[in-house]
Amino acid sequence: MAPAMRGVLWGLVAFFVFNAATLAVDPSAESPYASQVSVTVGWFAAMIAYLLGIGGLEAVARPMFGLSDTWREAPGWRRYFGFSTDHKVVGLQYMLASAGGFLVAGLVAMAMRYQLMTPYLTIFGSTSDYLTAVGIHGTIMMFSVATVFMVGGLGNYLVPLMIGTNRTVFPKLSGLSVWLVPFGILTVALSPLLGGFTTGWRGYQPLAGSDTNGILFYYLGIVALTTSSFMVALNLTTTIIFRRAPGVTWNRLPMFAWGILTVSLLNLIWLPEIQITYLMNLAERLVPLNLFNANGSPAMYLDLFWLFGHPEVYIVVVPALAVWNEILPVMGKKSLFARPVAVLGLVFVMLLSGLVWAHHMFTNIRATEQLPFSFFTEMISIPTGFAYLAAIGTLWRSRLQVNTPTLLVLMSMFNFLIGGLTGLFLADVPINYQIHNTFWVVGHFHYTIIGGMVFSSLAAMYYWLPKFSGRMFNEFWGKFGAIWIFIAFNATFGNFFVLGLRGMNRWVPVYPGYLVPENVWTSIAAFVLGAGFLFHAAHLWWAWYRGEKADENPWGARTLEWQTSSPTPEVNFSRPPIVAANFYSYGDDAPPVLWAGDASHAD
Amino acid sequence: MGDLVAVFVIWLVAGGLAEWATVSWINSGPWDSGPYFYVASNLGTVGLHAFDFLLEFAVAIFMLVVVMIAYSAVRFRVRRGERPSQAPSQSRYNGTFVGVWIVGSIVLNLLFWIHPTASGLEAVYAAQLPQNNKNALIVDVAARQWEWIFSYPQYGIQQAVNNQGFDALWLPVNRPVEFVLKSYDPAHNYENIDYVIHSFWIPAFGVKEDVVPGQTRYLYLIPTHITSTKTNEMVRVQCAEVCGGGHPYMEADVHVVTPQAFAAWVQHQKHLQASILNLEGIVGDES
Ligand code: HEM
Ligand SMILES: [Cu+2]
Repeated sequence: MAPAMRGVLWGLVAFFVFNAATLAVDPSAESPYASQVSVTVGWFAAMIAYLLGIGGLEAVARPMFGLSDTWREAPGWRRYFGFSTDHKVVGLQYMLASAGGFLVAGLVAMAMRYQLMTPYLTIFGSTSDYLTAVGIHGTIMMFSVATVFMVGGLGNYLVPLMIGTNRTVFPKLSGLSVWLVPFGILTVALSPLLGGFTTGWRGYQPLAGSDTNGILFYYLGIVALTTSSFMVALNLTTTIIFRRAPGVTWNRLPMFAWGILTVSLLNLIWLPEIQITYLMNLAERLVPLNLFNANGSPAMYLDLFWLFGHPEVYIVVVPALAVWNEILPVMGKKSLFARPVAVLGLVFVMLLSGLVWAHHMFTNIRATEQLPFSFFTEMISIPTGFAYLAAIGTLWRSRLQVNTPTLLVLMSMFNFLIGGLTGLFLADVPINYQIHNTFWVVGHFHYTIIGGMVFSSLAAMYYWLPKFSGRMFNEFWGKFGAIWIFIAFNATFGNFFVLGLRGMNRWVPVYPGYLVPENVWTSIAAFVLGAGFLFHAAHLWWAWYRGEKADENPWGARTLEWQTSSPTPEVNFSRPPIVAANFYSYGDDAPPVLWAGDASHAD
Repeated sequence: MGDLVAVFVIWLVAGGLAEWATVSWINSGPWDSGPYFYVASNLGTVGLHAFDFLLEFAVAIFMLVVVMIAYSAVRFRVRRGERPSQAPSQSRYNGTFVGVWIVGSIVLNLLFWIHPTASGLEAVYAAQLPQNNKNALIVDVAARQWEWIFSYPQYGIQQAVNNQGFDALWLPVNRPVEFVLKSYDPAHNYENIDYVIHSFWIPAFGVKEDVVPGQTRYLYLIPTHITSTKTNEMVRVQCAEVCGGGHPYMEADVHVVTPQAFAAWVQHQKHLQASILNLEGIVGDES
């Protein structure tokens, strides 16, 4: 039986067994089949059984008891449906799982936009159903796409290659962690079985306290997804620190690896914080504890959530900023401009991101807190701007090949600029009083996330496609798709700003009639955008198997992942690379990256 | 040098056009409400002025960056039929560019924080001071799932409603209002674990304030124009924090009227209230 099937089966069995056993000990007054406690216990048991089933039993559990590791990976494509310790397999598994999350949550978004074409309920049976949809969309997008595709996906695949190693430090850890992604997505998506939840992705208390039990699957799903990200952060941080090939000094570390390193540090600092918060919420419900309702401190939950929630948005965008400066020097055949400034920008963003969380709460906090939080919020745009500084400096007087990856990077820079500048308005407290919790905010963060991170991810997919598959995409259709989503994206989310200013608030399937025409146009553009993403998926899928055979190093890049054959061989580097020059030095007299001599003499 | 001059000139022209469009937007709408579409309170005006100010700068910055990116992508591209080659210039640093960029972004951000943010907040805070709210009309606002309940303790009005019995907020123009905001249910005031956070928002007033269970919050503002929900639907009370299934329905009509009309409305409400209480046989010993 395929390991994935075995995992699902064991998970299901464990859920029913432990659910029933818990009920036997602690019967529920409301239902003979399930209680909050039994579902929670059953879920944890299911998670463990599922991880054992996908291969954790042979590869992880047995060695823990001193037995031999009897795990054998299946050959060929079947490998992707089970536990694997190869960082390339894990990276692709992450990308696929994350793309699956994007598809599910994207379809939910289409349903939401369909609903918003009318000021009364159509496809949703009740306003609570709509709110559940918003919550599922936001939660899956944030915790399985925005923070996962680039870090768990591209990070796991590319970082070891880029720093010149054959394996990560904790390969079994990431072999398991990737399987938590589909598990978490499924958990959140199944929350309607328990009644859904009306809080949206932020799980605001005390509303969560009076929600139906669907909120349990929101908490548990996020626990699974954040655990997965935490394991990635542990593995990649350690790998970057200890597994760099000779010559890959900190001063030479590739930009994308810097991005993943800063993001992983953010993850290591802040994920435990949000996980503790969610476990407290779980306990609040199961016990109950009265931590966050009117008897406790409702506003406390908001602080706890945003303490993590704000660094989270930099977890999303920092790898994207790094990808810009990874791709542009290659496509422009020009040395990366002001590299130390670009790296410092990433590091300062990482540090400052812990000081701005209360800007999500300007309509809630004390006046004395408003000034410092608006101050740091406005200041964080300075290091963020360093990514632009380096990118524009690199573009200047370059020999730019304006192909699909370049185009998508430039579009990402355009979109993210709008995302950043609209944030300036939100940081101004008197303006925030008006536009907070309106569609202005929804426009702002979709510009940063889709405009910045999703566009950059697509750029990365096209750029590294020859590396992943050994094949090339079609230049015409790639550009065609890029322009398609660029126009549709701006048409959709540009409208959100105007809607917000005109008084459209968030979380409303039913709204005043004067907003109808604008919403109709927005929805039509959104459908075109959704189709555009499907187009890219289809094109990439086709190119992966049917595209023209690509050269080993089609872009003439200098980073290490291109110094081995494409597609990447089973063993990344048959001979450990020794790096003798900067990865981002171009020009006719640039010294070769690899030390040409005999490896045994290297020092 | 030529490229720099070209970027500068394109920025001046394109940026100038964009600024012209921006200023037309700013000067549009009733009372120059521009980007806010409709503003009818003193606090909203503070926000609007900040918005206008930032918009002019944001458009200029946006145009500058976009012109730099677009110019590079067009001017320095490898043209059709040309062979890709190494860039002729490999400069990795330019002190002037980096210096101007960093100092410029620091100066701009400090400026934005001082004005309009800090200066605007000063105006908002000043509007909350007691000396600026003498003779304020007090409106007690109870937010519950899912209804706004307005009472006027100075006039003995327990729950202001319109003729259909829906909650409605009436305010005299140009008189300071003190909103006393609480999240609770007057009819079930023992069930405090079910109270949730709401947010009191009147889009046309340009301001919202969260209403948090267990806390009392105050918001002072002055309605500056005679208007009502019928005139413009932005003149409405709308809950702006998700509060459960009824969240979209949690709204109420607003009427800003002359002092005379307000006095007449107060009499009408008292009359209405007395008749309802009479009907229910509650009143009697109180009168
Ligand atoms: C594919 C196109 C997308 C469309 C048309 C879309 C549309 C929407 C809409 C209409 C809302 C609800 C606003 C409301 O009623 O409050 C929303 C919320 C949200 N979206 Fe998207 N979205 C898209 C993609 C994404 C992506 C890619 C992400 C992140 C990776 C994302 C993250 C979120 C989040 C976090 C929320 C907030 C949910 C909440 O309020 O709890 N969306 N989106
Ligand atoms: Cu509410």
